[in-house]
Amino acid sequence: MNNLAASAGTRPIDLDDTDHGIIALLRADGRMPYRAIARELGITEATVRARVRRLEESNTMRVVAVTDIEAAGYGMLLAIGVQVENRDPEAVATDLAAIAEVFSVNVVVGSHDIEILVVTEDAGSLSELLMATLGSVPGVRRLTPALAMDVLKNQPDWVPFHDA
Amino acid sequence: MMRELDKLDRAIVESLSPDARVSNRQIAESLGVSEGTVRARIKRMEEQKQLRITAVTNIDRFVDATLAYIWIEVERSDQTRDVARTLAAVSELGFVGVMLGRSDILAITMVKNTEHLASFVRQHISSVPGVRRTESSLGVNFLKHDYRMARIVS
Repeated sequence: MNNLAASAGTRPIDLDDTDHGIIALLRADGRMPYRAIARELGITEATVRARVRRLEESNTMRVVAVTDIEAAGYGMLLAIGVQVENRDPEAVATDLAAIAEVFSVNVVVGSHDIEILVVTEDAGSLSELLMATLGSVPGVRRLTPALAMDVLKNQPDWVPFHDA
Repeated sequence: MMRELDKLDRAIVESLSPDARVSNRQIAESLGVSEGTVRARIKRMEEQKQLRITAVTNIDRFVDATLAYIWIEVERSDQTRDVARTLAAVSELGFVGVMLGRSDILAITMVKNTEHLASFVRQHISSVPGVRRTESSLGVNFLKHDYRMARIVS
């Protein structure tokens, strides 16, 4: 699974300036060598290594590779509001999360019950995804899609970690 | 139109997927190519904004934080782009997209609670010239986000 959720066992750790410094540098360049990070922050390479391990093991931070949706072959990005009937929204959301094209699932309060982000190749596969795949999930009453025409900004550096 | 990733590009991205700190040498060995090729491919993908290697933090570590989807309608359609550009400069927003259907612009941010959302919208969104109305959905359970998917724009 690439989608990482909070594991029940880990406890939050307190972060100090060194941790924040390391996170900021790895945000800018996830493959920055530990030696360069050490030099930048005026600490030893061993400290950097130990801190990174602690951040990763406590499920606080992860260094990841993000692929551009278009470069991956998906021509369309949509945000879809989902209205649910006769079923627990959490259960519907869990089913939606299992669909590969659905890359973000958030149970919400508002005029919809769930907000999802999906990717698809083209108009043909979109129709299949909406009407056959998403529409047939039990409890889904209505889908209200919006097609992203131009994404000006997409840099969430917060995600739910689900594994570990 | 952006160049799509070829087979080797995809294999490299796949190797980076479980742990993006894996060394070029390890990737090269597992794929049977040279270390220089791996380095060059990663560099090219990053330069062409096809790939970004970055640190992400767990939302559960932010106490009392939840995602908010803010749907924005503009006064006149020709203001959409300017409003979206203004919003993209707001550091708290993690996503800003010009949308077709449902609403004109979608902005996503993280807030502490309903009051925080209301004051954020009032301060940073409703005050932008051209914004007519907003509608927000507040997250109660952030179930999934595959961090490997994004539009790489900056």
